[in-house]
Amino acid sequence: MASNACMPRFGNEAPRSAGRAVLLTLPILLWSLLMFFHPGGNTGRLWLIADGITAVFMTTLFFMMMRTRRTYRWRRWFFVSVGVLFPIGFIHNVMAMRGTMGIPIEEMIAGRTPFCFMPIPLLILPAAFTRTIVFPGSILPGGGMSGSGIASMVGLWLAITLVIGKGWCSYACFFGGIEEGVAAVPKRAKIRKIDPRWRLGPWAVLMAMVLLSLGLFESAYCMWLCPFKAVSEYVAARNTVGLIQNGIFMLLFGGLVIALPLLTKKRTQCSFFCPFGAFQSIFNKASIFEIKIDQTLCKPCALCQTACPTMSLSNESIARGETLMSCMKCGACVDACPRKAAVWHIKGTEVAGKPERARLMFLYAAWAMAVMFGGSIIAQGIATILHFLA
Amino acid sequence: MVPSLLTERAGLRPNARFLSAFLGARLLGYLLFAAVASEIGALALKLPAPRVPLMGGVDVLLACMLVWYAYSARHICGQACSGSKLVNISTSRDRRAGRAAALGLLTGLSLCPPFVVAGIRAAQLGSVVQALLFFIFFFVGTSVWFVPFVGLGCVARNQAVIMVARMTMVLVALYYLSLGIAMLIGRKVYG
Repeated sequence: MASNACMPRFGNEAPRSAGRAVLLTLPILLWSLLMFFHPGGNTGRLWLIADGITAVFMTTLFFMMMRTRRTYRWRRWFFVSVGVLFPIGFIHNVMAMRGTMGIPIEEMIAGRTPFCFMPIPLLILPAAFTRTIVFPGSILPGGGMSGSGIASMVGLWLAITLVIGKGWCSYACFFGGIEEGVAAVPKRAKIRKIDPRWRLGPWAVLMAMVLLSLGLFESAYCMWLCPFKAVSEYVAARNTVGLIQNGIFMLLFGGLVIALPLLTKKRTQCSFFCPFGAFQSIFNKASIFEIKIDQTLCKPCALCQTACPTMSLSNESIARGETLMSCMKCGACVDACPRKAAVWHIKGTEVAGKPERARLMFLYAAWAMAVMFGGSIIAQGIATILHFLA
Repeated sequence: MVPSLLTERAGLRPNARFLSAFLGARLLGYLLFAAVASEIGALALKLPAPRVPLMGGVDVLLACMLVWYAYSARHICGQACSGSKLVNISTSRDRRAGRAAALGLLTGLSLCPPFVVAGIRAAQLGSVVQALLFFIFFFVGTSVWFVPFVGLGCVARNQAVIMVARMTMVLVALYYLSLGIAMLIGRKVYG
């Protein structure tokens, strides 16, 4: 009893003992060591330092998740770090290889455009109808600036999606962290009432981009609407269309990733615009992990709705005991609920069963992937910064 | 076409009528183009200067049409109430035919590369009849892909689908508008 009194309390829940938290963290520690210090991995002093910092960072965050039983705030440290460090490492690479952030048409024709996961939904219909990949990148690794080919990215996406579903948007996306970081800056939201119809935006963008990609045989989202071109690479503006495209990129980034998150404290680009998020909502059905609202405990205080960064809880969905399709499994609602009505859940089990066990199972899968995918991005960003400091 | 059908909450028959009007106007656009192509000959089509502003104009018109369509669909509500007369294809036959025809004509006249190639081929045939026949078969070959769209209206059973379809129309309209404006400005568009 005395020892419990000395321990810090987090919310209304007693923290796990340090020894038990260490034991639960051990698998992630071993996984981090394997990922960052495996034979044949990065060599050189700067890379060793960067890998070491990343391994400690990722392991510490997981330890804190175990210790405090809280998810969101620690995950946010990781996610924002990925969002900030990805452009640093990527732009450095692009500048070193090409000397500019603009992709010239020659690079596209040569199939050397780096591939990210965003165009995956746009490739499916043209590939199904014509067996053509409407993206000017390399199918196999090594073709693009990032070194990852289309096939490897699609394979990685599929493997991760089958396990954590839309958790991709909270643990794997290397863009979402930017707006999550921006949204964390203001203490209170200036805009609190948002028309819920805007939540349909990602579906509209998805449909428009899929149809345009099928009709034009180009990755329409990358060419016209990707806000993150502003911080990665853009179309080399050699003509009127190029100028318009870059103007759209800057406008969308400034509006959806900077201004609106500052005003609303929400991930507005993810909530109202991102077509990949809508696409991922469909595949989320394959994942066994979800967030549920235990109706026997819930007193509709709306704290979970306020905490949710993507407006994935409505009065109706809470009454049904579930989140909306757009839920990214970030854990904000679970951490915010004072009555523990919002819980992690494994499909096919009782809602009031063992939510902490469901959380642990989800976090092991999600964090193992985060170490592998986001961890490498963090390490590259740190290595780039160290390179400039050295 | 897809978002337009999704904003309706009609069954197979009204959608088939809508699609027929769309495809009919598309055929008309093709035939007009075939006649013009054969009369003017390949020369006009090979010149890029008059083609680019024309394409730009058609793109801007198409964008305006889509925005108007999305705006006019704002009154469509729950399952029981009827939609706007402007867009409810199951009540106003004249208007639905007109709208579908306008969409069909504008998309039919969109001078995409295969269409221009077909136009050049028609112009080279030297005979109006041959050119018209060539475009009729061109139409038949490209229209097969539209047939499955007849069932799309059946998907639009709730407000969310209609709202998504309206937003989609605006986004597609913005794409055509920006492309059209770029072409009308007269600067170098591609390359």
